[in-house]
Amino acid sequence: MAYKNLFGISQRRAFRRLVTNNRERLYRMAYAWTSDPHLADDLVQQTLLKALKNQKQLRDFAAAEGWLFRILANCLTDYRRAKRELLSADDLEIVDRVTPEHQFNDEQLVRRVRRAVQRLPINHRQVVTLVDLEEFSYASVAQILGIPVGTVMSRLCRGRRALREHLLEMKPRESSRPATNIKRVK
Amino acid sequence: MNKDDKISEEQLNAFLDGELESEERSCLFNEAELSDDLDQRLCQQRKLKELVKHAYRDVPQPNRLLSGRRTRTGLVGLAMAACLLLVVGFTTGMFMRGHLEPAQYPGGNATAGNTQAVTAMENYILHVISGEPEQMGLALQKAEELLSTAEPGYPRQVEVVANEQGLDLLRSDVTPFSKEIRALANENVIFYACSKAIQRLEEKGVEVQLVPEAITRYSALDRVVIRMKDGWQYIKI
Repeated sequence: MAYKNLFGISQRRAFRRLVTNNRERLYRMAYAWTSDPHLADDLVQQTLLKALKNQKQLRDFAAAEGWLFRILANCLTDYRRAKRELLSADDLEIVDRVTPEHQFNDEQLVRRVRRAVQRLPINHRQVVTLVDLEEFSYASVAQILGIPVGTVMSRLCRGRRALREHLLEMKPRESSRPATNIKRVK
Repeated sequence: MNKDDKISEEQLNAFLDGELESEERSCLFNEAELSDDLDQRLCQQRKLKELVKHAYRDVPQPNRLLSGRRTRTGLVGLAMAACLLLVVGFTTGMFMRGHLEPAQYPGGNATAGNTQAVTAMENYILHVISGEPEQMGLALQKAEELLSTAEPGYPRQVEVVANEQGLDLLRSDVTPFSKEIRALANENVIFYACSKAIQRLEEKGVEVQLVPEAITRYSALDRVVIRMKDGWQYIKI
């Protein structure tokens, strides 16, 4: 059902509300992916421009949030492709200098976590943040990033394992146990 | 072999992320009751998840699109952002050109001096990014032209938005067009200075003073988006 019929309001108004309600979330996600406030903001603006341009393609309002995040992911992909560069951990070091987190008592912890997240390959970083920050289901993440659910699970697994190594100073479980002991429960 | 050895990381993640069915969740709860090791793994995974959430609960904010809040950020990525802004501006212009019918797009490429007829009731937002006096003058000329071609009884709204080097148009100590801006403002042309461009200059130590007719609240692109959503036509100079 077209969302304009579902809500009985104009498409333009519904779209405006959609943008208003999701801009903060999009920005937070973009920042988690890039660790760069300006770049994150530009990506969100690009996302909104593209969403604005293609708003007629959105037929199911229930899928609107995923649709916006998918556009955001595509914008980042386009940006990285255009720049032909990886947003490496080196970039993250700069961010810490310019974003004093006065509101946190545990500034060091926040920095440490962000640095660890930034060290993840972008594919893992996207999955981890979409699941942990936005609490998207695996199926939604799969749709947003255009990958199978199984890939979402494996990337999430590897991403969290790496974070655990960095943050909890705990080696991956697999390395401390014989491989034969690792089994999947059906 | 311990029971928890059967539990894969994928299963633990699925459990924490609420992806397991009720029966599977109960099963895992039970196993965690019996195994300290599994319980510890669960706690660690949960802690990890909460850490990530915590780290991004509040993130540094740039200028906002709709809330109008303004916070200061650093110099990080300015070069990248500037490049990206150029790309975005260019892209915006390109797709708008692609979407506007010739009759709706007076002047087409403004720099080409094309002078097609305009539709009476449309409002226009002119986006100035160049600091070249010729381009800035062209923008003012276009604003005047748009006003003059409005049908009597159907006043047209025109807004000039300046960012990047185009901000010079609205800087009182730089612009060579103070009189023209004042005259156009008297004709209800709105002059809008990009908050982000101002912020970037200020971060470089440049004191930005705007002509009294200029207003600022959003970034240029934010303003363009807002006006476009209101149905305004976009012209990039």
